Amino acid sequence: MKLTESFRISWRAITGHKLRSSLTTLGIIIGVGAVIVFMVLGGAFEANIAQDIREGNDEPGMWVNTQQESSGFGGSQILTNPIYTESDVAALESIDGVDFVAPEANKRAIQLRHGDQQQTGQFNIQATDPQRLDGDLSAGELFEADDEIVLPADAADIVDGGLAVGDEVQINYDGGPTKTFTVVGIVEESPGGGNNRIPTAGYISLDNYGTTVETPDGDTENAYASMIVAAESTDTLDETQQSVLEYLQTDSDAAQLKGDDQVIKAQTVDDAVDQIGDIIDQFTFLIGGIAAISLVVGSIGIANIMIVSVTERTREIGIMKAIGARKRDIIQLFIVEALILGVIGAIIGVAVGLGIGYLGATGIGWPMVYPVDWIAIAVVIGMTVGVLSGLYPAWRGARVDPIEALRHE
Amino acid sequence: MRHEVVWMAVTETSQQSPSATTVELQDVRRTYHLGEPVHALDGVSISLPAGSFTAVMGPSGSGKSTLMNMVGCLDTPDEGDVTVAGQDVTVLSGNERAKLRGTELGFIFQQFNLMPRLTAAENVTMPLVFHNDLDDGRRQRAETLLERVGLGDRLDHTPPELSGGQRQRVAIARALVNEPSLVLADEPTGNLDTDTGAEIMELFEQLHEAGRTILMVTHERHIAEHADRIIHLVDGQIEEIEQVGGER
Repeated sequence: MKLTESFRISWRAITGHKLRSSLTTLGIIIGVGAVIVFMVLGGAFEANIAQDIREGNDEPGMWVNTQQESSGFGGSQILTNPIYTESDVAALESIDGVDFVAPEANKRAIQLRHGDQQQTGQFNIQATDPQRLDGDLSAGELFEADDEIVLPADAADIVDGGLAVGDEVQINYDGGPTKTFTVVGIVEESPGGGNNRIPTAGYISLDNYGTTVETPDGDTENAYASMIVAAESTDTLDETQQSVLEYLQTDSDAAQLKGDDQVIKAQTVDDAVDQIGDIIDQFTFLIGGIAAISLVVGSIGIANIMIVSVTERTREIGIMKAIGARKRDIIQLFIVEALILGVIGAIIGVAVGLGIGYLGATGIGWPMVYPVDWIAIAVVIGMTVGVLSGLYPAWRGARVDPIEALRHE
Repeated sequence: MRHEVVWMAVTETSQQSPSATTVELQDVRRTYHLGEPVHALDGVSISLPAGSFTAVMGPSGSGKSTLMNMVGCLDTPDEGDVTVAGQDVTVLSGNERAKLRGTELGFIFQQFNLMPRLTAAENVTMPLVFHNDLDDGRRQRAETLLERVGLGDRLDHTPPELSGGQRQRVAIARALVNEPSLVLADEPTGNLDTDTGAEIMELFEQLHEAGRTILMVTHERHIAEHADRIIHLVDGQIEEIEQVGGER
């Protein structure tokens, strides 16, 4: 029996029971739709984060830090050991393609005070090269003296009425003294880097930074836990990244100061986007996998209705067998019918999934993404589910004895 | 009416000499074990010459249906030989018997047994769908046959849209579409009123005149009398073979 013939006959059987066929495909529609929705939302979330990261970091560069290897799910842990010395910073700045190096020297503060208002908590005060903030200023100017501070916009808002250029703020270091700074500038967006779990409350001159280590050469130098290395050009960023890593991992003081199980990383924005993307992907798969369970339910629905269908059409099967249908013809008919249900369910499911995903993504304000590979996978899964769930009913149909079947009312 | 006869004639390729035997049953036995053994067929030997029209009569339980199933290659005997269109049915596999049914036999049932969702034309071409890879001409063949049974204007109607007599005409067209060696009819008028039944028997007569080999089961004497001879079955055995042909 030709496949086109079985498609024609099976299609009649499907359209002959419109309500039943619709309800049967509903299981697959929901299953495939749910998977596609999560894939769209996962992809949109990822694209949105990538966009955010790139927006705040349109200057070519990389973030150098130290990580504890293999701490399992969720990636590596970023360490705060000060191992990048002044000599390393100077050496990096002489590498071809490097524009400037801005060490990140974080001081922990526990209280910010302005007049009689105060905020208590955990704050990062970043001692840094003012060049890093260049271009991000929304008001005022960069700090020059060691008692001047630039505030991020959200930190400026922590007191009633907000802090403005010219105001004075007292910062109480963790376990240390209180120092008074004059606000000289406000930055709209944080230039990235740093420890994201603790908010950055201000940027001050490196002269305030007092963390030193003994270098392998026996000198005492300022040392930092991380650095921003700005590159001269996006085009040569990859090569610059290679050179920076090569130096840091071999000739630098940091290479000797770091622990044995610690790794020096130089991450560009793309690396960060990839890394975050990987994590989001894992969650997307997890949720998509849970959604895929409904596909199993859908396939059971198809199998169930096909078994009913075989029983109901026993007489038709008998007729077909009497006039010459072989077992494989009957099997073919029922599998094709299940296949059609599966594929239709998958196609509608993809459409519904994309629709809901689109509404969801645009509703939240994420960019829409089309998970092309998952659409293909969904259709293949729909076909597979259809064929698998049609197998047993088809086999039952093929076993029907035509003599018995023709007696069947 | 007679000028229409030609259309039902066997084609040249399947033309058989009058002496050729289409079906041969040799001492066929079939026993069902329903608590105690029931001898549905108890040593039946029949030969159906090509072009013959044979009726089978008998009370219910006499083995008529079992005999039809044997000749129709739907069942195989416990003992004895069944030869249909030159093939020994007892040694064939299920699929081979299906093929034999699809290519050499035409079935006409009391219940019509049409596929309810397919059109008249599609029903007629059904036997070709399973064993004939030729798409071309199928539809044409169905149209020709349906026109000849008087349903030229009902090609795309489905069985529920047709009357009983019309359905049986579709079934007759279906039974002829594969140029069968043998047409099997099981109470073809059993579900029809007298007038419609008479029209259907008129079609059978035309088939017979055109040289078709026919085996028909019926419990009605006046229907059976359309045949050349009547085989009377009682308790799975042939009681009498009555010659009735000649008056037509």
